[in-house]
Amino acid sequence: MYWLILSAALWMLAFPQAGLAQTNETCLACHQVEGSKVRFPGGGEIDVTVDPKKFAASVHAPLTCVTCHTDQGDYPHRPVAARTARSYHVLAQQICATCHADQAKVFEASIHGQGLRMGLADVPTCTSCHTAHAVVRPKSAAFRNNIPETCGNCHADAAVMGRYGLRPVYQAYVEEFHGVTTRLYRLATPLAPSPSAVCYDCHTAHAVRRPTDPASPVATANVLATCRTCHKNAGRFFATAWNEHQPPSMRHSPLVYMVQVFYKILIPGVVGLLALLTALDLWFWAVTRWGGREV
Amino acid sequence: MGRPGGMKDGRGDSALERFSLAQRVEHFLLLISFNALVITGLPQKYSSVGWGERLIVLFGGIDQTRFIHRTFAVILIALGFYHLVVVVATRKRPVRRHDMNLSIRDIRDMLADVRLLSGRSEERPRFGRFDYRQKFEYWAVLWGTVIMAATGLIMWFPSTVTQWLPGVVVPAARVAHGGEALLAMLSVVLWHFYNAHFRPDVFPMDPAMFSGKITLERLRHEHPEEFDELQEIGALPEGRLPEPADSPPAPAGPGPA
Repeated sequence: MYWLILSAALWMLAFPQAGLAQTNETCLACHQVEGSKVRFPGGGEIDVTVDPKKFAASVHAPLTCVTCHTDQGDYPHRPVAARTARSYHVLAQQICATCHADQAKVFEASIHGQGLRMGLADVPTCTSCHTAHAVVRPKSAAFRNNIPETCGNCHADAAVMGRYGLRPVYQAYVEEFHGVTTRLYRLATPLAPSPSAVCYDCHTAHAVRRPTDPASPVATANVLATCRTCHKNAGRFFATAWNEHQPPSMRHSPLVYMVQVFYKILIPGVVGLLALLTALDLWFWAVTRWGGREV
Repeated sequence: MGRPGGMKDGRGDSALERFSLAQRVEHFLLLISFNALVITGLPQKYSSVGWGERLIVLFGGIDQTRFIHRTFAVILIALGFYHLVVVVATRKRPVRRHDMNLSIRDIRDMLADVRLLSGRSEERPRFGRFDYRQKFEYWAVLWGTVIMAATGLIMWFPSTVTQWLPGVVVPAARVAHGGEALLAMLSVVLWHFYNAHFRPDVFPMDPAMFSGKITLERLRHEHPEEFDELQEIGALPEGRLPEPADSPPAPAGPGPA
């Protein structure tokens, strides 16, 4: 009996928050098992596996599981309020907002936040970009260099974008000068943040607006000012280089398009002519040497 | 030199200076910078392809690749200016400077050559100091360098350029730079490599641009008009004229050098 009381007292000492307090190890004992899933009655499932290594490397490593999952301290766990996987993610934003209230407020006012309130199924929540348990510092080189892929998760997908009358812009971006540089930084020098513009440098991270919204930094009237945040001495015509992530065509950037067409004709034309002359010359050599032709 | 014809009379090296030392150094610098620009430029154009990525990683990243590229670009541009200065400065000297001038004759020479090579004629076009192939290549390099320098500088200094020019010239310059680069590289690989390296009579390479010399035999065969002119003004090495060719040496079309 004495030992029982003592061990209970030690247990309480170790976890002063509550009698039922858990260490992360306790939770991870089950949750590191790969493939653990929760099925939702209204549809969808969520993988509840947490990689202990990734969590330990995340910015949230000092937190306990129950810091965020406040209602999951007991076992068996209480049923969650959400009926679907999607609504679980949407509701989970309130957990983030507990600490990140400023960002949450800005996000709510953004086009993404508006979409969430309208119940649109594809709109990102906090965890769509930051992940749930492997959250890295947004200022880190890895996070920055990976931004085009993060946004590209949706903005590369023609089907998803089509539902909202948008164009997929990812491919055009990675072929642009900014995109090429960022991609190569990610590939060759991943520990250095790309000095080239990534999505959020122009569109902002949490306050994204429609480009047609006059308050958007990429609204036509604001583009030059936005360019000048990096290109300090950008000339007054600088922004007309901008083609809205459109592949060049006669309608968008006709000059670029015409140069493209010019070289598409010129290169095979010239190379074809040279190849012909070279082949002819070789032919001449062959017939004079082996064909008995004399000149 | 191992070429048929060159030393066939056993009279030693009956050769003539064709390129001055300065010209050979110029060609060597052009060769180095062109190759450096291609090898650092192509992976930028094809940066999403495996070999492009690997080359950029090899150079240490995109910043380092661009730094090397721009360094050699500056060298090539300086070389271009040097060339223009020399051409202008020596324009009045009787050193056959205008032999690179293009004229309608070069088109006729080309057509005559095509007729010969294709067997529709037995008559060899008589080339002067530079044949039509060499002239076209010279002007292609000159013109290509101007395009590459202009479009490259636009991409290097977009902020400055757009003080005066519409911004759309920047993406247009990027497309033109890539297109012209591809054209230049393919032309050199096909045309220059063939004419200066892979043609059966010069394989594995035409040494004239490195030794600076051309044998009289070859000069007479490939640049007969220049040969005649030099003979007329007595500029050929005394007593070393090869016999008139009653049996031509190995079949040789118009060639480089």
